[in-house]
Amino acid sequence: MNQVASLLIALPLISAFFVPVLKQINKSLIKPYLVLITLIQTGIAGWVFKEVYTTGKPIIIYAGGWRPPIGINLYIGHFAALFVLIIALVSFIMAIFSLKAVTTEPIDKYAMLFLLLMLGATGMIATGDIFNLFVFMEITAITAYALTAYNKTGEAAEASMKYIVLGGIGSSFFLVGVALLYGATGTLNMAQLAELANSINPIVAQVGLALIMFGLAVEAELFPLNAWAPDAYQAAPHPITAMFSAFVVKAGIYALARLLYLLQKASGWSSLLRLLVIMATLTVVFAELSALRQKDVKRMIAYSSIGQIGLIALAFSLGTQAGVDAGVFHMVNHAIVKALLFLAIGYVGLTVGGTTMENFEGLGKRMPLTALAITVAGVATVGVPLFNVFWSKLKIILATLQAGFFWAAVLVLFASVVEAVYYFRLIHRMWFMGGGTRIKEGAIAGILIILVAIIIIIGVDPAPVWNIVVKAGSDIFNVANYVKNVPLMGVGA
Amino acid sequence: MLKRALAIVAILIIGYWLAQGLSQVPFGQDKMLVGKYYLEHVKEQTGAVNAVTAVVVNYRGFDTLGEVTVLFIASTGVGALLWRKKRKRTAKTKGSVVLTTGSKLLFPFIMLFGMYIFIHGHLTPGGGFPGGATIATAFLLMYMAFTIYEIPHKGFEVTEGFAGMGYVLVGLIGLAIGGYFLFDWIWQTWHLGTSNVGRLFSGGFIPVIYTIIGIKVGTELSGIIDNMLKEEVKE
Repeated sequence: MNQVASLLIALPLISAFFVPVLKQINKSLIKPYLVLITLIQTGIAGWVFKEVYTTGKPIIIYAGGWRPPIGINLYIGHFAALFVLIIALVSFIMAIFSLKAVTTEPIDKYAMLFLLLMLGATGMIATGDIFNLFVFMEITAITAYALTAYNKTGEAAEASMKYIVLGGIGSSFFLVGVALLYGATGTLNMAQLAELANSINPIVAQVGLALIMFGLAVEAELFPLNAWAPDAYQAAPHPITAMFSAFVVKAGIYALARLLYLLQKASGWSSLLRLLVIMATLTVVFAELSALRQKDVKRMIAYSSIGQIGLIALAFSLGTQAGVDAGVFHMVNHAIVKALLFLAIGYVGLTVGGTTMENFEGLGKRMPLTALAITVAGVATVGVPLFNVFWSKLKIILATLQAGFFWAAVLVLFASVVEAVYYFRLIHRMWFMGGGTRIKEGAIAGILIILVAIIIIIGVDPAPVWNIVVKAGSDIFNVANYVKNVPLMGVGA
Repeated sequence: MLKRALAIVAILIIGYWLAQGLSQVPFGQDKMLVGKYYLEHVKEQTGAVNAVTAVVVNYRGFDTLGEVTVLFIASTGVGALLWRKKRKRTAKTKGSVVLTTGSKLLFPFIMLFGMYIFIHGHLTPGGGFPGGATIATAFLLMYMAFTIYEIPHKGFEVTEGFAGMGYVLVGLIGLAIGGYFLFDWIWQTWHLGTSNVGRLFSGGFIPVIYTIIGIKVGTELSGIIDNMLKEEVKE
């Protein structure tokens, strides 16, 4: 019965392949079809989530019926169940937003790419095989390249070009790293790799791990390799930007954390952690400082999103249980807040025409609900108490101090102050400058309000979500448990 | 000049570092943990004589499904980025008679060979991807030889969609019959061709899937060629 969860992969695939057929039947059906499929996917993800959290056992899917490490297995543990649900939900919201936001032709290709972006991220989160991770990473990355350039403007093409070149280099490095690890161990299964980790030759482990980290850091937007991100966020269609920020990057950062903790017995591991802490802290500082000077709101939020991702990466690279839990909590919170923020800003850009600072003046009078949503999300991102991000930021900073990285905590706090400056500047502009007449806000405002409510509910009472998050976090951190859950055939060992 | 020198130095350092890592990987030694299992069990478990296709389609079929998707994304992406309301081929120079006649004659032969490759995926080297690429070459030849040649678009797109759905459907039938997604029901449940290993009608669902992949890859690559060769016409 549990194998039915493989529909999480099969459904988006078969529906994406059906779109060319649907296009011949009736083209106007394509956008509603997109909403319907993402709704079904949300339903399946909800069922999987319920199943995993009530039984407390992960769902292991054997592709082809072969036991690992002979075949590929999907591992839907606490973390994957939670995130697959978030991915499906955000995709569903963005599919509704796409009804209005995307009018550029060809809409059928957009629908296919949209579904496959969702599929790629789901696969990256769920897979238990390192080469399969690469395949799903390619699916995610190539759809992202195509969707970045979808608007067919000059700057979109340039952004996509940068992303393609960097992403291509990154994934080839990742592949070389996988080849090295396979050469040293003879297996591609993550659980078996974790078992064999301490027997890998130290030099091979170091080189292989570093190459994999480098490859994933491009997708995860860590400091020296994230130059593509702000351009891509700005140029992509509005719903796609929200998807990038809410789950595509997170899939990359999760893969990074997963592989890192699986191979923690390999030698040279702690120096790699040290490097990651430095990269993550630099990501936070540089992104927040760059956001300060932006004139375009969408670009500003893009930089803010990169900064938050750096914070998650910092939490994951501390190497402690507390850090991982805090990182997962921040992932969830950030997915909600940034989905809301990009949705609201995209909506403004759509109705007003453009997302430059001037367009936001007097928004409080013209589109009060949307302005309220942006305000709440902005305040939440800064980390004001009674909003959800406050708790996760607090936990991350406490975990950083516990792990002994005093300087990292100070730099991150400093970056939060910078963040407060540009968010409050935006909020000031919206409410206290300019003016204008009321513009009618449609159904999107309803979704915005629901998301705002979620932010405040988690902010007031973080305990229920925190309980879920702790389970998800131990899924990543407790490798012994992970290995025990995957029934490996006794091949070779 | 300084830039180039620095780049060379950096590349040399990275190369040395990689070589250090590589030199520690035991080549030629018996390091086959999983590989050995495949070699020993491939015939009875999958019915394929070609171990590579058995691994790619059956044991690790999930990866192949992913790769087919990657190709699909590539062709969709090209289609999305080059989309214009009206596009036409604008090639001017006609090919010589020798070229056009030769291409016409060669076309069916290349098609036949391409199909041969993907149908015999479980027996001979090759499979769906090389077979599909060969078929796309036949279409490329027609495009290059004739200035007005065009593939029937709608038909190709729909075929591509149906082929992709076919692959997932075969997997879903496996889920229904055997309980696992991408389960080889033809071989393991129906035992079709079990006495026939090494002949055409064997190999479980490998030939079926490779035929689907062959068709899909062939139509996809032809579609990419078509998209890239056409230019916008202004009215």
